[in-house]
Amino acid sequence: MNRFDAHALEEALLLKEQKDVLISEPSFVDVVTAGPPGAEKIIQRAFGMGADRGYHIVTEDFGYISSFMTASRLSAVAKKTSYDLILTGIMSEDMMAGQTGPMLAGIMGFPCATGVVKTSLHFNDNSIEVEREMENGFRDCLLIRLPAVLTIQAGINIPRYPCLSNMLAANKKQIITLAAADLFLEPIREREFCVGMEDPEKTRSGQVLEGSLSDKAGQVFAFLRKKDLI
Amino acid sequence: MKQILIIAEIFEGQIRQVTWELVAAAREIEISCSQKQNPPDIHIIVPADEPTHLAEKISKQTGMDVIGLQIPELKTYTSEIYIDCLGRLIKKMNPTHILAAHTSQGRDFAPGLALKLGAASIPGVSRIRADGDELVYSRPVFENTRIMLVRPNPDRPVVLTLMPGMFKPDIPRVEKQGRVDIRKISFDSASGDKGRIRHRKIIKKSCENQALKGAKIIVAAGRGVGEKENFELISRFANCFSSSALGASRPLVDMGWIGYEHQVGITGTTVAPELYIACGISGSSQHIAGMKDAEFVISINKNPNAPIFRHSDLCITEDVLEFIHAFLKKAAHIDIA
Repeated sequence: MNRFDAHALEEALLLKEQKDVLISEPSFVDVVTAGPPGAEKIIQRAFGMGADRGYHIVTEDFGYISSFMTASRLSAVAKKTSYDLILTGIMSEDMMAGQTGPMLAGIMGFPCATGVVKTSLHFNDNSIEVEREMENGFRDCLLIRLPAVLTIQAGINIPRYPCLSNMLAANKKQIITLAAADLFLEPIREREFCVGMEDPEKTRSGQVLEGSLSDKAGQVFAFLRKKDLI
Repeated sequence: MKQILIIAEIFEGQIRQVTWELVAAAREIEISCSQKQNPPDIHIIVPADEPTHLAEKISKQTGMDVIGLQIPELKTYTSEIYIDCLGRLIKKMNPTHILAAHTSQGRDFAPGLALKLGAASIPGVSRIRADGDELVYSRPVFENTRIMLVRPNPDRPVVLTLMPGMFKPDIPRVEKQGRVDIRKISFDSASGDKGRIRHRKIIKKSCENQALKGAKIIVAAGRGVGEKENFELISRFANCFSSSALGASRPLVDMGWIGYEHQVGITGTTVAPELYIACGISGSSQHIAGMKDAEFVISINKNPNAPIFRHSDLCITEDVLEFIHAFLKKAAHIDIA
């Protein structure tokens, strides 16, 4: 599971636990992933953490898949149930785009806040108060009417480990699978394409020290001495 | 002909520095296509409740045409107001390129804006290159270890968010002031009222750490330290120097191992010491942007492909804990530790 998604799931579970204490009507945490065959392992882990239901949108395309494509696919599941809150990680660790959540919000017509580091549900007026992280230690504090999409930043919580009783229950749970190709009548056209990959440029000389561990320690020590830093 | 729109970044009534970088990036696009065709038309959009003063300032500084987008409801930024008002204005203008900053604000509204415009969307652009008649955009992926080259579908406009610090603002053109055009547009909430996102306040989590900011030597720890208990070893290493400050990468702060005031990076403290020693830090873009002005950088990481090594003067491919133990042994001989 993507690191930021683990934080998003943890936050969903915490909100559900808070809500269950105060309101008798039960709430559910569903987990949705769009990925190739094998991605259901992520849903199994989510069950282990405490998710109630799991959807796997099975994708067959390889290579670059845009955020727009993923958001469109997720919206097909999101539209089936009237969710109050949709949480995503702030970004994936591989593509680092951070667009799937806000684009999903756009498709659903929901308001969206990105980089959320604190949440607090307001049960009386069906809204959620959030803090978004900004630069230089500033935070933006917003009150958002539900339903809404939040993208969750690391640091908001510490994701729990899957627990044994949940893991055992997970074996009995069925993952609902949908073929990505069947979701839409007309195939979705990508709006941008990956045309290559390369290594990042160096900004400094990057001299690599050679020798044994002790040699390297000695070289660094001598260097710092020479520069009069130690 | 290309038409480029720049969305100025305004925070608490001030023009953010990154706005000038967006202008520099627009000029790069201008140069790359002016050899072949008509120069592009560039406009800067300044969204604010009272944009006149800001718009005048930007047009003076850049010599470019500026649209002051007056949105009476825009007391403070919200994605909902930006996407609605910018979306309606931009649809009418039909541009080819829309440039915004890859900041907490730009990342928040740009994907929704692209969706509303039916545009391609390329986030976190670090470089723009001409490839024949078309432009190719570079963006870091895989935790900063690779660069992906992306080309938008030419039949659509493209929304780009540009990584701060990657496009150098050039000397302003002062020969003429651009035109300033004020356009008023009211927020049209989809829910028919004041909107679904209400801004409450901006809070300052913690001040920038002056001790860290002014430090001559910074010893900074990252995920490579493994466990919270190993901080003691990092501190002993830091104590080898007569005066040093302890820094940390974001994950350690997120895990609660060390206070936020030690965080180096865009979301923490931006530093420029004489010597920066990165201990087990992989080097996320937000961390590197926070320490790139250090005079000399030494990095210790057991992964030879760690992105931090590309931004280091001296690279030590070792486990950081083993290296520090070895270093302390050397230092002990001279009895300074």
